[in-house]
Amino acid sequence: MTQETVDVLIIGSGHSGGMAAKVLTENGISCLMLNAGPVLDANKDAEPRPAAELPFRGFKQPGQLPHVFQANEFNANTWVDEKEIPYTYEAKQPYNWVRVRMFGGRSLFWSRQSFRLSDYEFKGKTHDGYGDDWPISLADVGPYYARVEAIFRVSGRAEGLPQYPDGNFVVDDRPWSGSMQRFADAGKKLGVPVTKARSSQGVDGLASSVNLLLPDAFATGKLRATPNVVVRELRVDKNTGLVNEVHFVDRLSRREMMVKARAVVLAAGTLESTRLLLNSGIANSSGVLGHYLTDQIYGAGVACSVPEARDGKAGADLMGGSALIPRFRNIDARHPKFQRGYALNIYSSPGGMDPKHFAAYGAELEQKLDSYRGSGFYTGLMGEVLPRKENHVRINKDVVDAWGIPVLHIDTKYTENEFEMARDAMETSVAIAEAAGFEVLAKNPVPNPPGYSIHELGTCRMGDDKRTSVLNKWCQSHDHKNLFVVDASSFVSGGWQNPTMTILALSMRASEYLAEQMRQGNV
Amino acid sequence: MRRRDFVKAVLAASAAAPAAMSQQPAAVTPATPQMTPPAPAPRAAGPLPWTRGLREVKPLPMTPLVPDAVAETLTGFFTDRQFASLRKLCELMMPPMKGNPGALEAGAPEFLDFLIGASPGDRQQLYRGGLDRLESEAKQKFGASFAGVTAAQADELIRPWLRAWMSDHPPTEDFARFINLAHVDIRTATVNSQAWSDAAVRKGQSVPNVDLYWYPIDPETRQETRPETRRETQREARSGAGSRAAN
Repeated sequence: MTQETVDVLIIGSGHSGGMAAKVLTENGISCLMLNAGPVLDANKDAEPRPAAELPFRGFKQPGQLPHVFQANEFNANTWVDEKEIPYTYEAKQPYNWVRVRMFGGRSLFWSRQSFRLSDYEFKGKTHDGYGDDWPISLADVGPYYARVEAIFRVSGRAEGLPQYPDGNFVVDDRPWSGSMQRFADAGKKLGVPVTKARSSQGVDGLASSVNLLLPDAFATGKLRATPNVVVRELRVDKNTGLVNEVHFVDRLSRREMMVKARAVVLAAGTLESTRLLLNSGIANSSGVLGHYLTDQIYGAGVACSVPEARDGKAGADLMGGSALIPRFRNIDARHPKFQRGYALNIYSSPGGMDPKHFAAYGAELEQKLDSYRGSGFYTGLMGEVLPRKENHVRINKDVVDAWGIPVLHIDTKYTENEFEMARDAMETSVAIAEAAGFEVLAKNPVPNPPGYSIHELGTCRMGDDKRTSVLNKWCQSHDHKNLFVVDASSFVSGGWQNPTMTILALSMRASEYLAEQMRQGNV
Repeated sequence: MRRRDFVKAVLAASAAAPAAMSQQPAAVTPATPQMTPPAPAPRAAGPLPWTRGLREVKPLPMTPLVPDAVAETLTGFFTDRQFASLRKLCELMMPPMKGNPGALEAGAPEFLDFLIGASPGDRQQLYRGGLDRLESEAKQKFGASFAGVTAAQADELIRPWLRAWMSDHPPTEDFARFINLAHVDIRTATVNSQAWSDAAVRKGQSVPNVDLYWYPIDPETRQETRPETRRETQREARSGAGSRAAN
């Protein structure tokens, strides 16, 4: 039987865990990484297949993954099955908890949108009086963002907008397509900025922990990793107040095991990290662990057609490309119906159009699809959800997962602030599209259910006051100084931005701090 | 069991493993009474050739057929009247066009009978209620079953409920929801059918609607990774890592 005390035990292998492993091992610290799921090999685990050969003709298997709108029959096996790992919620307040447990976590599947938070998010309370400021500012995180952007090869262009901080970009100076230029010009006249999107190019198309972070960590010889182990509990030494034991169960055999560690880095993903802390009964002297769950509203937007592109007349330069409208509400003037703001993704598509966008069927629909092919133009909402203490998660001891671990009860809902914001996003989209001369085919003002964006944030938030926060500004537990939580559960607020760059930057920052504290003998 | 005894037992079990693998009668005395295995079932003497030669087998010269290529789907979820209405809806919404099969030729009604029959209750009720309403409105307005009305008459019943909508946000009113979701389902069941695929190939096109399919990802089936895990454990054991456990 092997029994040792590892220097740092990292729970989770996604973006946050991968970054922690890279930083710590490159600082000479030995790490053991535990991951709840198996190692993926796309060459063995996947192959191209036609829908006609699948058991359900490409339909999602009935009753499977009801809360994963992103699932289909092709990718169903990549998501966590909520029958195996359930969670509960009130019937009127559904939550789409979208999870991946394979090695690399959700860094394997993400949209690549790569943004910095601005001080309109870090210092939101100072700006508009709502909620709480983060204990850090853009100036604190900026240097880490720059290093992360270099690793992930973020494409973009300097825009000079304080709410859309510029970064360390692979410069995207491609000209707009004709339709995008028209949309941008129309937005400018309405006071709405249309900017270049920002996206991680990664390497060979992939921008994941498994190809950009973990290989560097393994190359040091300092990282060992164990897949298929589900952590059940962290235990604290009563004499020292330090986390010293990590109890886990072998996913396949259900054998119970334990490993000792000098420090623990929790990177299991926002809600799994918080679930583990709640189940362990630690790190919660503030009583706010599990509270302030937030995410981002998606789903509202419009589908349009560029009339000049119909019937095969688009030519080479009219269609294609993407853009972004960064937050523009509540920057200089206060909107009468909602606080904070949203961004819009903009796409110009030279491909076919979705039949759902036409109130027609049969031959009539076919004629429309032919005529409109290559003329599609779309907007999609990414909006801030206000952090509220009452939106929270707690342990439901009456329900356990496949390994007997009590599950989360998720108690959260959107309010009029989010619904008004979504409505404004749709109306703004319509106004710009119509001003650009586009035909609006379909529109939707209703956000998807909470969780849909796969950007669950908060529940383990950072702060200077240990009575109102779980972590300090270094993502270090106020209660247990050898415990760090480096995923998005530390977020005080979420903004509209895809959180990946911020997760990576904060994990890098926290891990360098931990390395230094260990060097000094403080941890 | 004390830890030292447990280690001894594990070592004894490891020593016994090769004998067990060769299917010889058990010849090793367990280290402790607790480790005694259950009595083996009677078996033929000598190793059984269960897997011998399988790794040397060459792939068969066959292209697996999907059942739809040779067989019809038996239906049974919808009533005869509901199914007749569903067939009519399929015929109208997705007729044969451009050399492609229509929904009827693609077996969409039969497939949807299976799919909806296997679906959660709310989806079943949406379809049953929607098909019943088409039938009752056809009788009320035209004095005929929905399956028997003309295309123009059917259009009068369907068109008022058609919507242009965005993904994940179908209409919320029950009947409009049925009409629009059934439309999507009929199209999907048709364009993802074997008949549609065959037609594309006949036209010289590539097989349509191909995407990356992920098989169940489970290390129990991944022999390449498990020995790595074992070697790590053995290496740690050999290096005496266990003796550092007192830290």
